[in-house]
Amino acid sequence: MSDARGHALSLREVSKHYGSFAAVERVSLEVGQGEFLTLLGPSGSGKTTILMAVAGFVTPTAGSILLDGADITPLPPEKRNFGMVFQGYALFPHMTVVENVAFPLRVRGLSRADRDAKVRAALDLVQLGQFADRLPKQLSGGQQQRVALARALVFDPNLLLLDEPLSALDKKLRAELQEELKALHRRVGRTFINVTHDQEEALSMSDRIAILNHGKLIQHGAPGALYERPRTRFVADFLGKSNFLDGTVRDSRPGGFALENGASRLAVALPDGEAPPADGTRSLLSLRPEKIDLLPEGQSADNVLEGRVVSWAYLGTGFSLRIATEALGEIRANLPAWRSAFAPTEGLPVRLGWDARAAVPVAEDAP
Amino acid sequence: MDGTYRPGTVGRGLAWATAAYLVLPILIILPVALTDQRYLSLPEDGISFQHFRTVLTSPEWLGSIWQSFTIAVAATVLSVTAGTLCAIGCWRISRRATELIRVLMLLPLIIPSIVYAIGLYRYFGPLGLLDRFLGVVIAHGVTGIPYVVITVSTALATFDPRLEQAARGMGASLSQTLRWVILPRIAPGIFSGAIFAFIHSWDELVMVLFIASRDVFTLPRRIWDGINENLDPAMAAVAVLLILFTLLLLMADRALRRRSEG
Amino acid sequence: MTGTGRAGVGWWLLILPAFALLLAFYIAPIVQVLAISVTDPEPGLGNYERIFTSGAVQRVILTTLRICAITTVLALLLGYAIAYAITLASPRARGWWVLAVLVPLWISVLVRAFAWVTLLRRQGLVNNTLMNAGMISEPLPLVWNEFGIIVGMVHYMVPFAVLPMLASMREIDPRLLAAARGLGATRFEVFRRVFLPLSMPGIIAAGVLVFIFSLGFYITPAILGGGKTLMVAEWISLQILDLIRWGLGTMMATMLVVAILVTLAVFSRVVDLRRIFGAGG
Repeated sequence: MSDARGHALSLREVSKHYGSFAAVERVSLEVGQGEFLTLLGPSGSGKTTILMAVAGFVTPTAGSILLDGADITPLPPEKRNFGMVFQGYALFPHMTVVENVAFPLRVRGLSRADRDAKVRAALDLVQLGQFADRLPKQLSGGQQQRVALARALVFDPNLLLLDEPLSALDKKLRAELQEELKALHRRVGRTFINVTHDQEEALSMSDRIAILNHGKLIQHGAPGALYERPRTRFVADFLGKSNFLDGTVRDSRPGGFALENGASRLAVALPDGEAPPADGTRSLLSLRPEKIDLLPEGQSADNVLEGRVVSWAYLGTGFSLRIATEALGEIRANLPAWRSAFAPTEGLPVRLGWDARAAVPVAEDAP
Repeated sequence: MDGTYRPGTVGRGLAWATAAYLVLPILIILPVALTDQRYLSLPEDGISFQHFRTVLTSPEWLGSIWQSFTIAVAATVLSVTAGTLCAIGCWRISRRATELIRVLMLLPLIIPSIVYAIGLYRYFGPLGLLDRFLGVVIAHGVTGIPYVVITVSTALATFDPRLEQAARGMGASLSQTLRWVILPRIAPGIFSGAIFAFIHSWDELVMVLFIASRDVFTLPRRIWDGINENLDPAMAAVAVLLILFTLLLLMADRALRRRSEG
Repeated sequence: MTGTGRAGVGWWLLILPAFALLLAFYIAPIVQVLAISVTDPEPGLGNYERIFTSGAVQRVILTTLRICAITTVLALLLGYAIAYAITLASPRARGWWVLAVLVPLWISVLVRAFAWVTLLRRQGLVNNTLMNAGMISEPLPLVWNEFGIIVGMVHYMVPFAVLPMLASMREIDPRLLAAARGLGATRFEVFRRVFLPLSMPGIIAAGVLVFIFSLGFYITPAILGGGKTLMVAEWISLQILDLIRWGLGTMMATMLVVAILVTLAVFSRVVDLRRIFGAGG
């Protein structure tokens, strides 16, 4: 793992059809050198099909896949030199840890001495040196996952592909391995492409996330940018939770507009350079529950709304409230618990407030 | 995942060749049975059903078919009764206690029938069972028990033992539980076992060669004599009838299993 | 005693008919036969001495072992190809492959032997076709010799070889094959280093099954051997029915049973018989 230089991958208008069913529809995406990209989407969104097309197990119906500018679409999987961590790991049950990790080197005809050195380095990288002679079934889930990683990295692959690498692990171990995977990525400096349906995993590990739904690429960008500025209702809803408020655009001007819904007018501020929607058009706002505050008596905010608590849940870190408002229907709000001695009761009247920058206009999803 | 892993040309070629080797020799009998010639050959000037007519009008062939059929039915009744009860008993009593019986049940499948046949030849003499309908029924019935035990045990493996306990808990006796709770659930398994036990008896030759001679002359025995003495197209006609009959039984089994699964 | 409670006497009575029938009409006759081998014509191990002194006895044993070994190897090879094709076939094609294996399994062994005689004898379909095509001038000796026996026996044994191998191949996770390719293995290496070793338990089980079935096989060798090539089962029948030499016949029968049980005992660790027969049923 010496010359740790990542490679760049590009997908150009890649489609995969099964009969009349489009599993992937004209997806174009660039993955930069050394980048950690996550393909995120619900099941059936086409994310795994894309990964399998990159790996060479699925032949795209149309489009091409390029590695550093060279077309690799027709290459069979064994010629691509991509490391892959499979869902459930796919460790060979009849081989020990060492034999599993040495497998890619063996099929490449490396001498025994070269093999041994590389295998040892790879096992050290994932801190499994002392388990070398065990069989996969004698290892815990987390250890198996690390063997799979070592096996995928030992032959200096051009890319590392991860298919739901953490889905088989329990919640606590998953959090630990997320950090480890991230650290590993920094250490080896290779390009990683990860597939998951777990939004937390995507947010915590990736340099960039590509969100897919029904075979289409919906939006991609850095985790923070995606979370803060979702462009569609689907993205806002899939990545975290959101309230959706709709209404008519009024008072449109550079830097903001107002959304009219019945008697209420909501102030919306836009970041620099984002064009406001035209007056009179319908618009949909996404408002994150944690961006809503409970206003004490006498305090004001850009937007204020009266309502009553319908139900609540205590989550340790805070409260999750459902609040019925006359103007906008039911609103969800999350409050940190430590800040005040807030004691919700059913029917408790509350005043909600939020900043004009908190709400983000999003597009309704195409049917 | 398409294109993930497919057998190579060598593997696929060998598989096709093997399938042909398994199936074609059996299929070739059909045109031979329909030959218009008087000797074993393919039809030359057209097909003819004369050899089927010969078989179906011959008192010898019909007598053997009838004898084989009645023996197989009687032997199947014996196998199914003993085998089903045994499988249920083994299922309900713990594994360890019935280990010996389970091993015993495998012996007829493992030990060559020639060994059993010469044993019976000697054993049936003093009992007066040689060349008797009853003797052949016992021999076939006893060796058919394992088939029934296996299919019924397979059916029982998916049967929740708590249902039996619930029935007993509500006051049902052992025989009521058997009749109303257990047997209806495992009927498809029993039927499969019955078909296999029937085919086992219907096709059995080695024992018959030793324990039957003149009065009991089953269909396999007559085919055996035919192959060794006069190879004529009537033999092919008999073979075709046998194949059709076996296929019919297997299709019945399949249909029944599908119905019970679906 | 299971966790579900004490089993009553009633359940034991259910086992009784089968147990009594097997004891009285299966075990007893066989034990009697085995006993004759040390009492006829006179008490002692005289019959067993013949294994070491009689050339005829040795010849029949060697012939049997040779034919069984060849049959086992061929049945494994052909059966493996079929099981492999079934495992990797699409679900629809799989049904047809399985049919090609199961239908012969249930068709009378006599019918199958008859089919081979029809095909392979001097004026049989194969020889006639080849002669009409001018490829040979003399009929080939295809049957009533060892070749004919092996052709017929392999045909009978392939389905028995397929079933255990198929069971073990179906346990192989297809993702392992994809993983191996993704890690750079060619198609052949995936087979050699992953698929073949993982299917090994099935191969061993199939080998044991075919070998022990072949050892005592009677009908096919008797018909296709034409009395010239004798295997153990036919030799036993000859001793008892034609030569009335009970001692020798039962000695060979005993050896046959011992050989089969020893083979099973040796491989009992790798082969779960009940599973094999369960899959076959």
